Amino acid sequence: MSRNARRVFGGVTLVLLAITAVLALWVSPADKEQGDAMRLLYLHVPTAWLAYLAFFVTALASALWLWPRTRSTTWDLLAGASAEVGVLFTGLMLMLGSLWGRPIWGTWWEWDARLTTTAVLFFLYLGYLALRRTADTSEQRGKRCAIAALIAFADVPIVHFSVNWWQTLHQTGTVFNPKLDVQIHGTMAVTLLLSVLSFTMLYVCLTLSRLRLAELEEGREQRELELAIAERIAAEHPEPAVTV
Amino acid sequence: MDHNWGYVAAGYGITTGALLVYGGWLWNRLRRAQQSATDGD
Amino acid sequence: MSILREARLVAAKDLRIERRSRVALQQIVPFGVIVLVLFAFAIDPDRGLLPRLAPGLFWAALLLASILAVNRSFAVEEANGARDGLRLSGLDGAAIFLGKAAAIAAELALLELVLGVGVIVLYDVTPRNALVLFLTAVAATIALAATGTVYGIVAAGLRVRETLVPLLVLPAVTPVMLGATRAFESALGGVPSEAWPWVQLLGACAVLSVIVGVLAFGPLLEES
Repeated sequence: MSRNARRVFGGVTLVLLAITAVLALWVSPADKEQGDAMRLLYLHVPTAWLAYLAFFVTALASALWLWPRTRSTTWDLLAGASAEVGVLFTGLMLMLGSLWGRPIWGTWWEWDARLTTTAVLFFLYLGYLALRRTADTSEQRGKRCAIAALIAFADVPIVHFSVNWWQTLHQTGTVFNPKLDVQIHGTMAVTLLLSVLSFTMLYVCLTLSRLRLAELEEGREQRELELAIAERIAAEHPEPAVTV
Repeated sequence: MDHNWGYVAAGYGITTGALLVYGGWLWNRLRRAQQSATDGD
Repeated sequence: MSILREARLVAAKDLRIERRSRVALQQIVPFGVIVLVLFAFAIDPDRGLLPRLAPGLFWAALLLASILAVNRSFAVEEANGARDGLRLSGLDGAAIFLGKAAAIAAELALLELVLGVGVIVLYDVTPRNALVLFLTAVAATIALAATGTVYGIVAAGLRVRETLVPLLVLPAVTPVMLGATRAFESALGGVPSEAWPWVQLLGACAVLSVIVGVLAFGPLLEES
């Protein structure tokens, strides 16, 4: 994207986010059953969707890096950028879900399959980010991180499956009673749709910016390394070395 | 019906705060990286 | 040389190191037992809770100790460029993986025996349904050892390996911890037949983690 296109896209995203906020907080009505706590869902739903989208992008980019024909540092950096934004959204989603659950379910946390899987997901990718930060060279980082990302992604369904099973075998009275099924229509539906759209655009903005930053920093490191090598060679050979 | 505006305020506040902090951090780092990239060339 | 023979060589090497250094016997096993004792302090032993919680505590203690075993297994490859030696040995990556995982599994099996006795003595648990317990332990041990070995090589050579390995391994083995705990619970106090789905889940985890390790270990070793 060119500089101007980026600016326009970013500007539109901000405007849409502002409209979403107005719709979500003032225009849309309070839910009959849940009251105003329902407004938290306008943030919870898009963050949840983006968390999963971000980790899917990470897995896809990792696979593309591993595939020899499409190998490029950009894929590796994109995987990292997307995972970082994904962890941010996962954290927000857990926080929002907890804030919503407290008044509606009467508890901050429920050991429900989706919640538990998401919490495990959060830690899986936190570990992935820690791994990314510690690798020394970009070649060293690429393969380890790509494989770790794919394993983490493949682990998610297994975790979900096992937690789900645990919860159905040990049924302790479900918290989802049918009364809480939100009747979505009219303003609420529009707000939710707009919210998902604007947050998806925000995700694109953040991920692309993070990718650009990673690329710039990678380039700077490369330049500094070359500079340091040149200085070292110059120091060891006072005579100007013959360039080969 | 409970209003629970406190929870809503906390949720929207923390979300906005976290996004602003992350966005600001990204913005700053990006600007600095861009500057040093043009300086280096 | 077949892969299995190569794997046996690697496993024998790791176990020989452990036999001579006695790190597993004198540090990792006591660590596991101390964790069991700490749990008893955390949960008032007089209220009869310990026997009921014993399956979960047993596996939690084992999980924590298994992190030490994984770290140890890759610490011995760190000194004197041993990992380069391993890479240059011409052994198949899959064989090295199987060997190292088998050595860790052997150490975990020893630990499980000790912790099992510890749980019986300290937590007042009566062992029942030996077959279920045995199969659960076998599948869970394989899954833990294989997953640990994969993440061990992912983090190998990094300066923060010791602290990174637990962060990577613990979330990844959630299904194993869940499955093994539920299977033990069913075998010891609940309905034994309820354990079988969990044993199957553990078996699937074990098979999957071994497949991942066999495929990924070689390329990761090259890079480390």
